[in-house]
Amino acid sequence: MERITIDPITRLEGHGKIEIFLDDEGNVANTYFQVPQLRGFEQFCVGRPVEEVPLLTNRICGVCPEAHHMAGAKAADAVYHVDPPRTAKLLRELLYSAFYVTDHTTHFYALAGPDFVMGPDAPIAERNILGVIHKVGLEIGGQVIQARKYGHTVIEMIGGRKVHPCTSIPGGLTKGITEEQRKEIEEMGRWAIEFGQFSLSLFNDIVLKNQTYLDLILGDIYKDETYYIGMVDEQNKINFYDGKVSVVAPDGERIGKYAPDEYTDWIAERVEPWTYLKFPYLKKVGWKGFVDGKDSGVYIATPLSRLNASDGMATPLAQEEYEKFYETFGDKPVHHRLATHWARLIELLYAAERWVELATDPEITSDNFHTVPTETPTEGVGIVEAPRGTLTHHYWTDERGVTTKVNLVVGTTNNYAPISMSIKKAAQSLIKKGEIVTEPMLNMVEMAFRLYDPCLSCATHSLPGKMPLQITIHNSEGNPIEVLKQNC
Amino acid sequence: MKTIVIGLGNPILGDDGIGWRVVEQVQKEIKQQKQIDSEIIFECLSIGGLTLMEHLIGYERAILVDAITTGNTPDGTIRTFPIEALPNLAIGHFSSAHDTTLQNAIEVGRKMGAEIPYNIDIVAIEAQQIYDFSEDLSNQVRKALPKAVKTVKELIR
Repeated sequence: MERITIDPITRLEGHGKIEIFLDDEGNVANTYFQVPQLRGFEQFCVGRPVEEVPLLTNRICGVCPEAHHMAGAKAADAVYHVDPPRTAKLLRELLYSAFYVTDHTTHFYALAGPDFVMGPDAPIAERNILGVIHKVGLEIGGQVIQARKYGHTVIEMIGGRKVHPCTSIPGGLTKGITEEQRKEIEEMGRWAIEFGQFSLSLFNDIVLKNQTYLDLILGDIYKDETYYIGMVDEQNKINFYDGKVSVVAPDGERIGKYAPDEYTDWIAERVEPWTYLKFPYLKKVGWKGFVDGKDSGVYIATPLSRLNASDGMATPLAQEEYEKFYETFGDKPVHHRLATHWARLIELLYAAERWVELATDPEITSDNFHTVPTETPTEGVGIVEAPRGTLTHHYWTDERGVTTKVNLVVGTTNNYAPISMSIKKAAQSLIKKGEIVTEPMLNMVEMAFRLYDPCLSCATHSLPGKMPLQITIHNSEGNPIEVLKQNC
Repeated sequence: MKTIVIGLGNPILGDDGIGWRVVEQVQKEIKQQKQIDSEIIFECLSIGGLTLMEHLIGYERAILVDAITTGNTPDGTIRTFPIEALPNLAIGHFSSAHDTTLQNAIEVGRKMGAEIPYNIDIVAIEAQQIYDFSEDLSNQVRKALPKAVKTVKELIR
């Protein structure tokens, strides 16, 4: 049996590794997607005042600290049994909407964009944001930088800091915003709506009007029929900050919705001997292995799953795009995983529209942004939709509010099983008996997980001493016969 | 010369926090010695790629302090080199796996007309224990702290 190793995965947060095992005939027998273990975070959080935990958890990850801060803040609210005032919720969601615009923008233009704008088989040195700017125009780069700047400005105004917000505490926020700030936020949000529309039109022109890409999206290489989850409001419209988590079966049937404190009734975790990371699955359906279908409890939590698990978008322009999305595929749910990139841009537009909605709410500048907790703290769960998937924080404390136990189910962890399945399917479709394994082929295998925007080892990096991508091909005795290394 | 000194890393992930410790100590010593220079700004950050580039805008010079994992030298070994000597790899603190490398990000920034320093030095400290959550440094990396602080102070001068 031959063995191909991709280690570590290009452009993936942390040092992931894909191993592809070939059978004697040169076809893909199996694939393993492994990630390094980060040891002891939950224990690290124990013995601390619970209000400190949202500040600590946002240090887990340098990519989505805002998501950890929000989930942590909501869990701390629940621990103290305190319901923040409406203004506090509006402000938190406003910060979160601006964060979404920033995060989704970056993913599309820096990560997804190169594969589509430059092409999956373009020279590796050009498959980055510089290549995108070179091909589409300098103006694109300016817009990306502007979107990020506006997002960071809103995060700093409400969250107190540009990168790691620190203003959410049990019962609300430590500060509000002034009318002057509100006006500035509204103006930036209106720009973000135009940018969201522009991004969708760019996707339409570059991807949807290109038959090769359309065939790739609609084909079978990147398709798995799993369950889908995502947070929705009372009208079953997508909401990133608050609501219940909707669970939809591969045939589109909604099998239920769960509140944060019910997550353990729905989600269980499978342990496999070859990896440190656990595989969450739907408890009510059960673990049947790395297979799709209605009998398998494997689910995804991504922009695509959020669209599939909802009945629509809560803002008008995003709703139009949502309808166009499902008209194009002609079915719901959409199982074609590359459609995640399109779904992400629809979410970007929604986040921008929501940003303006919240910034124009009459109560947004109220000084009633905190309710002092008065009840004895016990236990609480907070859930938000992180850009990469449903994020759950669960804290237990003693009567002083000092943590005794912490459990986190992070965005990407939800997707560990489906990512593994997508990699296997792509590898089996692309690597065939007798064919030489080329870099573009391996990039197309990587595309199978890049669409999830996986974030597996938040902020663990130190400077690299190895090449970022290593492919080792082993013969049937397990001896390496060829090693390919490359930069990107 | 308007200079930014940035400690990079995750302060709660063991030796990954060495960049922060060094920069915090440099700032403290300079303050104690009343050598405060308004042209020098200190920051500690857990970022990479585009976000890191955005923090460099408007400065004439930058010094970045971070952990490095080569596996080729003992923990605590200190290296100083210009950014041009750093391979343009897509992982590590100078990159973000969710956007691009610092080198690419700088090029993007410059194309957009942003003023990004051409003089960027890196002080890298060899470290392996970066996968355990802890606020403590390992003995070998902790022992390198004074020398790393001295190195950064000399670079500032």
